[in-house]
Amino acid sequence: MTSAIAPIGLMPYLVVSAAMLVLGVFGIFLNRKNVIIILMSMELILLAANLNFVAFSSAHGDLSGQVMVLFVLTIAAAEAAIGLAIVTVYFRNRGSIQVEDATMMKG
Amino acid sequence: MTPNAVNWSLAIPEIGLALSGLLILVIGVLQKRGEGFFSCATLTIAAFIGCGFLVALSPDGVAYAGTFVNDSFARFMKELALVGGLLATVVTVGYQGEARGTHAPLPFETPILMLFSTLGAMIMASSGNLMTLFVGLELSSLSIYILCALERDNVRSSEAGLKYFVLGSLASGLLLYGMSLIYGYAGTMDYAGLLTAIGSEESPPLGLMVGIVFVVVGLCFKLSAVPFHMWTPDVYQGAPTPVTAYMASAPKFAAFALFLRVMTGPFGTMAPRWQILVEVVSLLSMVYGALAAIPQTDIKRLMAYSSIGHMGYAMMGLASASAAGVRATLIYLAAYLVMNAGVFAVIATMQRKGHEVTTIADLAGLGRREPGLAAALAIFMFSMIGVPPLAGFFGKFMVFAAAWQSHLYALVAIGALSSIVGAYYYLRIVKVLYFEESAEAFDPPATTLLFVTGGMSAATVLFILALGPLMTVAQHAAQALVG
Amino acid sequence: MIPQLVFYVFATVLLVSAVMVISARNPVHSVLFLILAFFNAAGLFLVAGAEFLAMLLVIVYVGAVAVLFLFVVMMLDIDFTKMREGLQHYAPLGACVGGVLFFELIMAFSDWKMVPASTIAPLTGAPGLTNTAALGTLIYTHYVLLFQACGLVLLVAMVGAIVLTLRDTGMGRRQIIDRQHARTPADTLELVDAPLGASVSAQGGFLRPHQSYHETSVPGSYASGGMIEAEKREEEV
Repeated sequence: MTSAIAPIGLMPYLVVSAAMLVLGVFGIFLNRKNVIIILMSMELILLAANLNFVAFSSAHGDLSGQVMVLFVLTIAAAEAAIGLAIVTVYFRNRGSIQVEDATMMKG
Repeated sequence: MTPNAVNWSLAIPEIGLALSGLLILVIGVLQKRGEGFFSCATLTIAAFIGCGFLVALSPDGVAYAGTFVNDSFARFMKELALVGGLLATVVTVGYQGEARGTHAPLPFETPILMLFSTLGAMIMASSGNLMTLFVGLELSSLSIYILCALERDNVRSSEAGLKYFVLGSLASGLLLYGMSLIYGYAGTMDYAGLLTAIGSEESPPLGLMVGIVFVVVGLCFKLSAVPFHMWTPDVYQGAPTPVTAYMASAPKFAAFALFLRVMTGPFGTMAPRWQILVEVVSLLSMVYGALAAIPQTDIKRLMAYSSIGHMGYAMMGLASASAAGVRATLIYLAAYLVMNAGVFAVIATMQRKGHEVTTIADLAGLGRREPGLAAALAIFMFSMIGVPPLAGFFGKFMVFAAAWQSHLYALVAIGALSSIVGAYYYLRIVKVLYFEESAEAFDPPATTLLFVTGGMSAATVLFILALGPLMTVAQHAAQALVG
Repeated sequence: MIPQLVFYVFATVLLVSAVMVISARNPVHSVLFLILAFFNAAGLFLVAGAEFLAMLLVIVYVGAVAVLFLFVVMMLDIDFTKMREGLQHYAPLGACVGGVLFFELIMAFSDWKMVPASTIAPLTGAPGLTNTAALGTLIYTHYVLLFQACGLVLLVAMVGAIVLTLRDTGMGRRQIIDRQHARTPADTLELVDAPLGASVSAQGGFLRPHQSYHETSVPGSYASGGMIEAEKREEEV
């Protein structure tokens, strides 16, 4: 590959993004403290996917991966805004953002 | 037509809907505070109807350099999504029109958000590229996250919005990761390009399979197919009733459209591999939907489990991996749309002194208090069981027939069995309606809701009349996709 | 040599700060580590040759999204002393599952096979363009539908944030502009002959131009005859 990624190779990028994905998923499911940590873990997952797109785009020499990252950045920003708005509304109603307290509905 | 042509005239329905959404938003903002709702809602309904006509007239083809595809299948799914959005908006108007007591009224942005969500669903149905899929999916989902949390002073609504947001974003993240792996293998995200890339390979490499699995997981989540259904009961129960009515229709259709398009398009050459997966998911959904609904006491939760079951039946058509199967799924979805909208219209009338009451016990004796509503609800329940000649029967019959033809005998047997088991809770509702002591009376229902209920029960009973033309349209759609 | 060194530095700091994001006790620290993670990810993007995206990551993600997180974390007024530590309970099991998932992914990715460029023509801008220019030629021609749809996504996010969180408390004094412009001096000014040395209260106190003042203010905001909360409370006391 004559791409910019050639001196490093594809594997290190894939390893880093796989680690980020696992950390993000881990952060969502094991978090009991704070709903905002869940939102940040989501950003980590999206960052992992973005890293993948950029690495593959460089490896293929194809720009559509980078265009996708552009759109994903936009959507991730929108999602973060909505998520935080929902957390704010929830906090105003419930008074706490502990994950364990979100149990009004069961069954 | 050069492959990179913009050809935007194909997307006129979507462009029109987006522009009308913007216009309605401006009109809503210019109204006095608290007065904008009805005008925005009626304009949204008009926009849906107009867009429905535009979709029916839109030509086949590929637009925007391959990212946008229009064929009979896309048209069918778009019409379903539009009708779903339309009915949900009418139910919203009715819900708002009932005495609302101490709760703040829904803001005027509600029908506009439903419009944008339906627009996202339409973009999804027309996707020709994984990027379009993702952007349409996010547009639709983000609108729904907001809609779920809209009753700001209701803690259940906020919790529903939060839960749906967290799990929905996780699913989107996994879907995106899967898409990145697929892109990494093929170097393109265009469906046509993916078909060439994947089809050229005899045994697809492990990385590609991992990517496809992630994509399927994300899509199954949006469909609330087992085992990714955890969010459905809580979210359906907590969200405001018209929003639940919407969630149970248009996004599910869009997710189905995606599933069908993705599985028969770029990944079509790997059909035998994913057929078994779809069969398992369908089976689990049907069984779970039948069993888990039995102990429920809240009707919205019950409808959530019931919708999980219905999605299982619809997926049976997909598992058949044939044009007949796809046609069966489409007819099932059309029947489901009609029944579902009707049931939620009835649920929206269940208010007492302005407060929503949604336990099944509250429906007791409705047969004496409101015979019309009770009769309509009974019709919908029987239709959901699959009693002929109501709408649900035709859906189930076609799906079972398609699966039988594809030699999926075990699946059909289990489907029939879970249908019988599921009939228990539908019949229990009918029993509660007619054979139990009357509970306290509800507030008088809004005329809009009576209109929807009446219309949908008529559609359910007279579905057999529409079946002929519907089958032809569905056949075209299925052939455009598979044949 | 140098690119590899740079890569490993960025990658290590990225992974360490990602771990700290999910395990920091104080949510403000988590957000700060998230910012560090974004910076290092931008560095990784630069190494891969995506300069525009690296810049965009810093400007949009760090500059907007992370700052938004920080705002909300600080606004929600969380009591840190009451934060329950639930992480230790499931951490070992979660770490095992996560580790297994990670190794499975790595096994799947080793020896990554790609479709050769002969099968699928890669989509590049014209040769000789910078990364930014090449992206520009693609976004506004090839992907213009998605570009517009992303605009709609942002609109929906804006509408959602407003409709969910904007509270209806009066925003203080507001005026109706055209009525303000239509005021004449006759409405607002009244010349009173006051003898030298006489106090204001002897002349009848401060005169307010009741008519026009209350006409030009938005009903419900301060000056339209209603009182703000503080004055109401003073009155009650």
